[in-house]
Amino acid sequence: MKPRSRRVTVNAAATLFCVVWIFPVYWMVNTAFKPYGDILRPTPRFIPVPLSLGNFADALGKPFFGDYLRNSLIATGAAVVGGAILALLAAVALTRFRFFGRRAFLIAVLAVQMIPSPALVIPIFLSLKSANLLNTLLGLSLTYIGFVLPFTIWTLRGFLHGVPVELEEAAMVDGAGRVTVIRRILLPLVAPGIIASSVFAFITAWNDYLFAYVEMKDQSHYTLPVWLVSFSTSTGTDYGGLIAASTLFALPVILFFLVIQRRLVEGMTSGAVKD
Amino acid sequence: MVWTKRRTLDFTKGQMSSFRPTEFRPRFPYALEATVHQRSTLGIRKLPLLAGVLALAAVGVSGCGGSSGSSTPAAAKRSSTLSVWYMDGDLSSQDQAAIGAAFTAATGAKVNVQIQEWANINTKLSTALAQNDPPDVVEIGNTDVPLFAATGALADLTPEKPALEQGQSWLPGLSGPATVSGHLYAAPLFAGDRAVIYNKKLWAKAGITSVPTSYAELTADLDKIKTANPSPDFSAFYFPGQYWYGALQFVWDAGGQLATESGSTWSGALASPAAQQGLATWKTFQNTYSTAASRNVDTKSPDQAALFAQGKAATILDTSLNTVLKDNPALKGEIGTFPFPGRAAGTSQPVFLGGSDLAIAAKSPNQALAEQYLKAATSIAVQTADIVGVDGWTPVSTQLITRTSSTLSETSKAFAQAASRSVATPATPGWATIESDASINQFFAAIATGTQSPQQAAQSFDSHLDQALNATP
Amino acid sequence: MTQTAPDRAPAALDEPRAAARRPRRRRLRDRATPYVLLAPATVVLGLVLGYPLVRLLVISMQDYGLRALFTGVTPWTGFSNYAQIFTGGQFGGVLLRTLLFCAALVGGTLLIGLLVALMLGAAGKRMRTAVTICLICAWAVPTTAATLVWQWLFEPGYGVINWMLTKLTVFGDLTQHDWFASSFSAFAVIWLLVVWQSVPFVALTLRAGLSQIPSSYYETAAISGAGAWTSFRIVTLQFLRPILLLVTILSVVWDFNVFNQIWILTQGGPDGGTTTLGIWSFTRAFSSESFGQGAAIAVVSVAMLLVLTAYYVRRLVRAGEQW
Repeated sequence: MKPRSRRVTVNAAATLFCVVWIFPVYWMVNTAFKPYGDILRPTPRFIPVPLSLGNFADALGKPFFGDYLRNSLIATGAAVVGGAILALLAAVALTRFRFFGRRAFLIAVLAVQMIPSPALVIPIFLSLKSANLLNTLLGLSLTYIGFVLPFTIWTLRGFLHGVPVELEEAAMVDGAGRVTVIRRILLPLVAPGIIASSVFAFITAWNDYLFAYVEMKDQSHYTLPVWLVSFSTSTGTDYGGLIAASTLFALPVILFFLVIQRRLVEGMTSGAVKD
Repeated sequence: MVWTKRRTLDFTKGQMSSFRPTEFRPRFPYALEATVHQRSTLGIRKLPLLAGVLALAAVGVSGCGGSSGSSTPAAAKRSSTLSVWYMDGDLSSQDQAAIGAAFTAATGAKVNVQIQEWANINTKLSTALAQNDPPDVVEIGNTDVPLFAATGALADLTPEKPALEQGQSWLPGLSGPATVSGHLYAAPLFAGDRAVIYNKKLWAKAGITSVPTSYAELTADLDKIKTANPSPDFSAFYFPGQYWYGALQFVWDAGGQLATESGSTWSGALASPAAQQGLATWKTFQNTYSTAASRNVDTKSPDQAALFAQGKAATILDTSLNTVLKDNPALKGEIGTFPFPGRAAGTSQPVFLGGSDLAIAAKSPNQALAEQYLKAATSIAVQTADIVGVDGWTPVSTQLITRTSSTLSETSKAFAQAASRSVATPATPGWATIESDASINQFFAAIATGTQSPQQAAQSFDSHLDQALNATP
Repeated sequence: MTQTAPDRAPAALDEPRAAARRPRRRRLRDRATPYVLLAPATVVLGLVLGYPLVRLLVISMQDYGLRALFTGVTPWTGFSNYAQIFTGGQFGGVLLRTLLFCAALVGGTLLIGLLVALMLGAAGKRMRTAVTICLICAWAVPTTAATLVWQWLFEPGYGVINWMLTKLTVFGDLTQHDWFASSFSAFAVIWLLVVWQSVPFVALTLRAGLSQIPSSYYETAAISGAGAWTSFRIVTLQFLRPILLLVTILSVVWDFNVFNQIWILTQGGPDGGTTTLGIWSFTRAFSSESFGQGAAIAVVSVAMLLVLTAYYVRRLVRAGEQW
C-alpha cells in the first residue's frame, strides 16, 4: 500500500476508533446536561437541548458534599504521595542491596496484589480496630497506601533496575549521602515511573467506596464515592443527580491524566521493559 | 543480554542509546553535593524519621478531621448525647428532628443523627455494631433485623415491650422479624407497602369508570386498556419480572407461603400446590400485561416510575407517588391509587410489609437513654403527627392506621388499606441472605421469561431457601 | 549488586579522626540501611495487607459469621470451609466461568490494545493526540460511573444501543431486547465494558514499547524481502516480548478479579450464569454472612492466580538475582 493511501486509511480507522471509544463518555456528559424528565426517552436525544444545569445543582447540593470532597482529596493525596515515597524507599532497598528476606518480600508483595479486595474488608477492619485507627482519615489513608504499595514497588523496582548503579556510586564517591543520592539523582530519573504509579494510586484511592464506608462512622468523615451512592435511596433513584455527580467525579481523574499524559507515556516504556 | 543493557537509559531520551556513564549528565553537579554531605552525615539515621514525617505530613491534617474515633479502646463512657443512625430517604429530616425534640423534651439529652446509605449497609452495620463504641440507636430495615438480633448485636428489649408498645398492636410485618425466640430486639418505626398506581386519563380513555375491587375486574379492565393501546412498548400494567415484592403478593393471595417453620427448621414452600397456583397466575399476568422487555429486569433499570411518568405504562405497583411526580410534575391530580385486589371479592392481595425498626446496640453504654428514644419514636403523638402527617408512611400499629386513615390524602389511603393485610417474611437471620444475593430476583425472572417452569424453579429455589434460612449465622 | 563503600575519605571538611571512625560506622549503617529503607513500607503493608492476609487465612478455617464478629467466639473448623466449597457442586461451574471469562478479557484486551498501539504508530500527530485523549477519558472514568452508563446504553426500551441497532434495520427491531437475559450476552456486554476501560493501559504501554524499536530493523527486514506479516513476527513481536509478558500478567491478575462491573450489571445472574469466583466469594461473605467461606474462596482464588502467573513470577525473581 502506498504511504499516502496508507496514512488515509489509518486516519480513517483512527477517527472511527475515537468516535466509538469516546461514545460512552459523551453519553454520560450529554445525559448530565439534560433536564430531569428527559433522561429516559425512547427516542434518545443526542444533543442536550435545552441545556439544563439542574442535575448539577442537585448533585452539588447534597449535604456534606464539601466534607466528602475534602476527605477524598486528603486521602487520595496521602495515597499518592505517601505511596510514592514509601515505595521509592522500599524499591531502593530491594534493588540496591542484597539482604536476607529480599526474595521473600518480593514474592509476598506480588502475591498480595492478587487478593480480591472485598475479601479483605473484614480482615482490614479487624486490623485497624486493633490499631485504634477506625473512623480516622489516617487509618483510611494507610489503607489506600497499603493497597497501592505492591504495584508501585514493583513498577519502581523495574525503573530502578534501569538506573545504572555507577551513577550513585560516583555521587557517593564525591561525598553525597544516601538521602541526597535518592533525592537528587534517583528521584528525577525514576520520575516517569513515579508518575505512572501515582496515577494508579489516584484512581485506587479516589474510587474506593467499600473501605471508606466501613471504616468511617461519622458522616463528615466519608469520601466522595459515598456521595455517589447517596442518589439511590429507598424512595427511588435520582438519575439526573447521579449522572451529573458521576461526571463531576470523573473530572479530576481525567484532568490529572491529561496533565501528566506526556510523561506517562514516557514512563510506561522504561519501567515496563526491565524484567 | 546486550539488548537489555542498551535499554537502560531509555527513560531519559525516549530512545535507545548506548550506555556510557560519562555521557550521562545528572541534573545537579556533584560539587554541590560536597557541601550537602556535611549536613547529611546523619542522613541515614534521619531516614526513617524523614520518611515517616513525609508520609504522614500529607495526612497530618487528617488529625484535625478525624481523631474522634481514637477514643479509649475500652467501652465508651456514658454521655448525654445519643448517636442515632438513620437510613437515607426513609424519614425526612423534619421527622427526625421531631422525634429528637420529643426525646429531648423527655430526657434533656441531645441527639446526634448520622445518615447512612443503603449500599452495603449490612456490612456497615456488622462492623459498626462490633466495635466497642457503636452507635446507640440504629434504624434497620425490618427484614434485616433478624440477622442482627440472632447474633447478639442488639439489646434485648423484651422487658421494655409494654412501655414501648403503649397499648397498641404492632403490625406483624414489623414486629415479627424483630422477635427471635420470643425475645424482642427492635421497635417498629414505620411501615411502607405497595398499592396500585394508575393513570386516570389512560384508564378513562379505555372506557373504565370505576376502580376494580376484585381480581377478575382488574384483568378485565387491563384487557380494555391493552386493546386501546396495542403498541409493543406499552404496558397496561408494567410489572418487571424481577419484582419479587409484587410477585409474592400473588403467592400469598393464593394461600401459599415462602417458607414454613416446623420446630426450628425452615423449609421452602414454593413447590406447594397453593404457591404454584399463585406463581402460575402471576406468570400469566406478567406476560400478558407487561412488555416482553420487562421479563428479566427489575424496577430500576429501566425505572418503572419513569416509564409510568412518560405514559408508557398505564399502571404500576409501587410504594409511593413521589418518584412519579418528580419525573413528571404535570401528572399531579391525574394519578389514582387502589390496593391490588385479591381473588376473593372485597379483599386485597396480602402485601409485603416493608419498613424499618429502631434497635439499640448491645454494646451501647446509653441503654436507658436509647430506650427513651425508642419510646419517643413509637409514641402515638409522634407516629400520628410526623410519621404519617409529615412523611406519609404507614404507622406501626393497626389502631394507628385506623385512627389516621381520615387524615390521609386521597392517594395515600390505598397504601394504608393494603397494609391491613400484610405478611412478614421469615423471621430468621438467613432471610437477609435471600434478599442480598439476588437469588429471589432470579427465581421470579426465570419464571417470567419461561426459562424454567414454576415447578422447576420452585424446586431449586426451595432447596436454596432450605439451606439459607436454616444457616446459623 | 552490593553497595560499594568509598575507599578514600570524602572531601576535605572532615576531621581525620572522624574519617577513621567512619568506615566502621558506615559498614554497620550500610548493613542496616536496606532494612531501614524498607521499614516504613513494611509497617504499612503489614498493617493493611500482611496481618489481614494472615487473618484471612485464619478466618477461612473458622466458622466465622456475624456471631463471631459480635461476640468474638470463633469456632475452629479446619478445612471444612474448603471442603464445602469444593464439594458443593458449584465450584466447577464457577471456576470454568471465571477462567473462560478471564481468558476472553485478556485475549480481547491484548489484541485490541496491540492493534491500537500499531495504529497510534502509523497515524499522524493530530490523530495520535485525539486517540490518546479518547483512550485516557475511557480509562479515567470511575468504574461505577462507567457501569451505570453501560446499564443505560443497553437498557431494554431506553437504551441508545438498542435504538441505534434498530435504526440499522439489519437486525430487526431490537428496542426491547434484553441483553442480560442470557448469560452469554450478559458476559458479552460486561466484556465490552471491561475491555473499554482496560485497553488504554495496554495500548499506551505497548505503544511506548513499539516506539523503542529502531526503524533500522524494519528496513533490514524489508531489504531482505520480508512482507508485512513476517517483519511483524520477526521484529515487532520479538522486541515487544518482555512488555507483552508484563502486560499479560497484569491483565490476568486484574481480569481474574473483576467484580464491580459484574455485580452491578447482573448480580451474578441470570440464574447464577455470570457468577465468577469473585462474585461467589462476595455473596458467600456478605449475603450469607459466612465470612469463613468467603475467605476460603478468596484464598482459593489467590492460589489459582499464583499458579497462572507462576512462570512470570519465577522469571521476575530470577531476573532480580542478576543484581
